[in-house]
Amino acid sequence: MSANDIIEPRHTVGADGPYWQALAEGRLELPRCEGCNRWHWPAVFRCGECGSWDHRWHTVATEGTIFSWTRTWHPFDGSEGIGVPFISLIVELPQAGGRRLLGLLEGDDRNLRIGAPVRGRIDATEIWGDRIPSLRWTILDGSAA
Amino acid sequence: MSARFNASVSVAGVGLRQYRRAKAPWPERGVLVRAIVDACEDAGFDPADVDGFVAYGDDKNEPVRLMSDLGTKELCWSTQIWGGGGGGIAGAFGVAAAAIETGQASAVVVFRTLVQADSGRLSGAVMRHHLNDHLLGAGLISPAQPCALRAQRMFEHHQVPLSVAEELVRASYYHGARNPNAVSYGKELDLDAYRTARWIAEPFRLFDCSRENDGAGALLLVSDARARDLKKKPVHLVGVAQGAGKGWGDLLENDDDYASAGFASVARRLWQQTGLTPADIDCAQLYENFSAQGIASLIDHGFCTYENVAEFVRFENLIAPSGKLPINTAGGNFAEGFIHGIGMAIEAVRQLRGESTNPVPDAKTCLLAGGPGAPTVSSAIFSNEAIR
Repeated sequence: MSANDIIEPRHTVGADGPYWQALAEGRLELPRCEGCNRWHWPAVFRCGECGSWDHRWHTVATEGTIFSWTRTWHPFDGSEGIGVPFISLIVELPQAGGRRLLGLLEGDDRNLRIGAPVRGRIDATEIWGDRIPSLRWTILDGSAA
Repeated sequence: MSARFNASVSVAGVGLRQYRRAKAPWPERGVLVRAIVDACEDAGFDPADVDGFVAYGDDKNEPVRLMSDLGTKELCWSTQIWGGGGGGIAGAFGVAAAAIETGQASAVVVFRTLVQADSGRLSGAVMRHHLNDHLLGAGLISPAQPCALRAQRMFEHHQVPLSVAEELVRASYYHGARNPNAVSYGKELDLDAYRTARWIAEPFRLFDCSRENDGAGALLLVSDARARDLKKKPVHLVGVAQGAGKGWGDLLENDDDYASAGFASVARRLWQQTGLTPADIDCAQLYENFSAQGIASLIDHGFCTYENVAEFVRFENLIAPSGKLPINTAGGNFAEGFIHGIGMAIEAVRQLRGESTNPVPDAKTCLLAGGPGAPTVSSAIFSNEAIR
């Protein structure tokens, strides 16, 4: 898809509603507790640590390191729109207290390893014909060093 | 929570009907009723006197619908453990024991049923319970994939040698090949085929993944006192724990101790409430949805660590009769068959009765470790002696 395509958010009222809304607008936002400054992911309605109901959503750079990965070869029902093989990533975000987000790897995978630095962008993944806003990650050059 | 487990409850009868996937001769209720009646006949118990039922893993067979087939006189206890996967299997025995010990029911059947024509593919059903757009957007559609992510972390970051997965799979297939009721009966695992099988989701190849079967399993539980008057030697439930520790759960892959199988708090409570240690366990039915999760389960329960896992998880160590900890002595989910793990609970009972096709000499205790890596997990210990 082109960057100008609008991906309609499919969820807006859950604890993670602002995440989907921001993603649809081309930004990555994650919530941080106003009471104790803890980053929460998955999003919560109430901070179970300090009891606060107040959270502020912060724009976070789509930069992190690979926490784990798997390359899927079996064409699981629903994944036809992605096409095998594809690589799913868990990415740790140092700017969000080490919280982790999921996404797909795109581009060169020669330096694929846990700890490799990645940069992301927002796109959509087609699953069972639905377009789901999601992150695409690229391994940064020189990461093999 | 670390109180002693003080229920006096035993498994008195077991019944298992297993078929090839999509080959069951009846819909789920027809298969399940037969398994329950089998369990009652095994115990010498009138099915009409069963007054409680517990399932797990989103079983679709609401107990009230079984009453006409079983002749149930009164339904007193009807519940199931939360969670779409097999994590709740052992916890189901704790729920049954709670009902019996508190007098809310007197004869409780733990069951699980799976017929593809009714419930679809198990992998799909399990994942639907947990799926959301965060996972789907990353292409994570099947349980194999999140388990693969955890496995990759275990192998690459924690440096568990890949070879241990093969040792575990070999042990399950060794026992399955010697169990006439197993789908892999008579068929040894071809190591070359294992090592070169097609990838499913790295690091898992085909034989690192459990099978799916149609069928139903049922276990009848009653008080120890009542069990002594029935046909078979009672197998006592001596401890059981379910749940999740803080930092574990349905957390979009943000769990602490990510590469584990999630049993840290459950295993701690299980050992505390029984006063037993891993050294006291004579054999284990170790739910292996995927090979690496079986390894993680052994580590979580304290049988070994990331550092010495390769010393412990050796084929010779894991097989009956001579291994230090024979596992999955009927073949397990890999090689016996997979009705969401219920066959493993039944093998725990058969092993402690001396009825296993791969007997462990003088086995007195058997660990049932439930579905690893699930948001809610559970484990139980059975014994043919009362342990207090």
